[in-house]
Amino acid sequence: MKQTELIIIGAGPAGIQAAITASELEVEVTLIDSQPSVGGQYFKQVPEEFNIHDSSSHQKQASELFNKLNNSRVKYLPETLVWGIFHNPKTDLWQVTLQGESCPSRIESAFIIIATGAYDRSIPFPGWDLPGVITAGAAQIMIKNQGILPGKQVIVSGTGPLQLAAASNLIEAGAKVQAVLECNQKLFIRGIHHLPSIWGQWRRLQEGFQYTENLIKTKTPYRIGWSVIKADGFEKVEEATIGKLDSVGNPIQKSYQKIAVDAVVVGYGLTPSTEFFRLLDVDMRYSKSEGIFLPKRNEFFQTNAQGIYAVGDCAGIGGAKLAMQEGKIAAIDVAVQSGKTSLTNMETTLNQIERKLNREQKFAKMLGEIFSLPDGLFSFAQPDTIICRCEQISLSEIKEAISFGAQSVTDIKNITRSGMGNCQGRTCGSILSQILAKEARCNPEDCQYLNIRPPVHPILVETIEEETTEVLS
Amino acid sequence: MRIEIKTGNQLRIKRGKPVLITVNQSKVTAYEGELVSTVLHCEGIHVFQRKHMNGKPSGIYCGMGICYECLVKINGVPNIRACQTPVTDGMMISTDNAEDSL
Repeated sequence: MKQTELIIIGAGPAGIQAAITASELEVEVTLIDSQPSVGGQYFKQVPEEFNIHDSSSHQKQASELFNKLNNSRVKYLPETLVWGIFHNPKTDLWQVTLQGESCPSRIESAFIIIATGAYDRSIPFPGWDLPGVITAGAAQIMIKNQGILPGKQVIVSGTGPLQLAAASNLIEAGAKVQAVLECNQKLFIRGIHHLPSIWGQWRRLQEGFQYTENLIKTKTPYRIGWSVIKADGFEKVEEATIGKLDSVGNPIQKSYQKIAVDAVVVGYGLTPSTEFFRLLDVDMRYSKSEGIFLPKRNEFFQTNAQGIYAVGDCAGIGGAKLAMQEGKIAAIDVAVQSGKTSLTNMETTLNQIERKLNREQKFAKMLGEIFSLPDGLFSFAQPDTIICRCEQISLSEIKEAISFGAQSVTDIKNITRSGMGNCQGRTCGSILSQILAKEARCNPEDCQYLNIRPPVHPILVETIEEETTEVLS
Repeated sequence: MRIEIKTGNQLRIKRGKPVLITVNQSKVTAYEGELVSTVLHCEGIHVFQRKHMNGKPSGIYCGMGICYECLVKINGVPNIRACQTPVTDGMMISTDNAEDSL
């Protein structure tokens, strides 16, 4: 059995930083990622077969980080899918099971830093499952990574800075953005008491101004308190219905307008990838701004499972800068726990990180509060709207399960199969708890979260077959 | 809808070498580094698969390997995420999944 001192899952900003720091402190690290190159979503690299010229400061920052990683002794496993984490009672170590062309089938370690990041949060509305309705993340990848336009006539709907970035990129790439719809109201009033948190965030402000400049230059309407309510079309989106929302996010019918589009881009914030925390059954807490359960962590970002750390967006949306500081702290703690250094040695470093961490936490809190989702958004779905896309379960089927007595999202899953398909509830999981809370008039935190079982992603049967042979021999 | 991307003159992308692939029995030119989802999108194909339960169309949604909506058949192997698979020379892609198992 292959063993290492530290396994890091996810090579985004948090995972890379954790790997570099741990390696500098003489910890033997294996960094695992499902993508062909490092960077995660934030520092996602254009395919190496493309000839690129990128002189942006964002790319410079990425290259610096990648260089540090390349010059370290970190063992990096690209295109490797982690499908399970188990506790091996014989060795008393964590065992990570893998699928990939050129990776071992299992690795063991006493420490695992989980840095699996986040993905776009979904809001169901009639037609959200039509081809042509895509997430803001998908739009960004299509434009910036693949060099293609998602559509020529596009509506962008959602909340927060990410959808602004998507709209700005769409415009620069040559799409006609019909409108950008922000579902939250009174942004300025909500933001005003957070003004001190913006101090020092100059680059971010500059980015924000650049995005808005693109909207202004092209006279793109930016409508605050509006959202896409419905998408229609034969086999592909052709028309979007947009509407004004009341103060709690319910659509006002008389405001509805129809707009011809060939793509709808939706960006309602992000959902942390928490599958490994649920798999390991660590202690969780409900977070209102993300609308899901997140792992509880100590001051070094360790969960209550010995040796399992949670850093970056997978433990709560905070952005890349915060993620990197968290990665550093977790890596230092692993080095301390494994006797490579002592806390006293690291005190100055930790104090320095602490200050940066504080600033980033405040900024993340501000964004979370200003751009939290109004409850009314969950009233867009109609009885025949599909909620679980994998298993094609409609809202009426879910409501039926609730009236049948379902009291948790797991009950809904057991009755309807929703959350049981290929994506394993990644898309519908948080939506189910919002629907249940609304129907049962309780809080979403009372609805619990979907349990997950290995494999956490669909894998080939051969992968498990190999496993069995190894165990037997 | 392939575009030459320029973001404030800071970013320029040139595609990789052309490769010949087959999409639903037609020969198509794609470029190294492109994903299967990219090529289908550029060919005007938006329905990547049909749901087994009701025949509803589905295509690109999350674009990052999370949602499993963009499953296609590649070289005879069903249920492969188009958004996570780069094209290779001679690749055979099919969006007809009527006969495949889950």
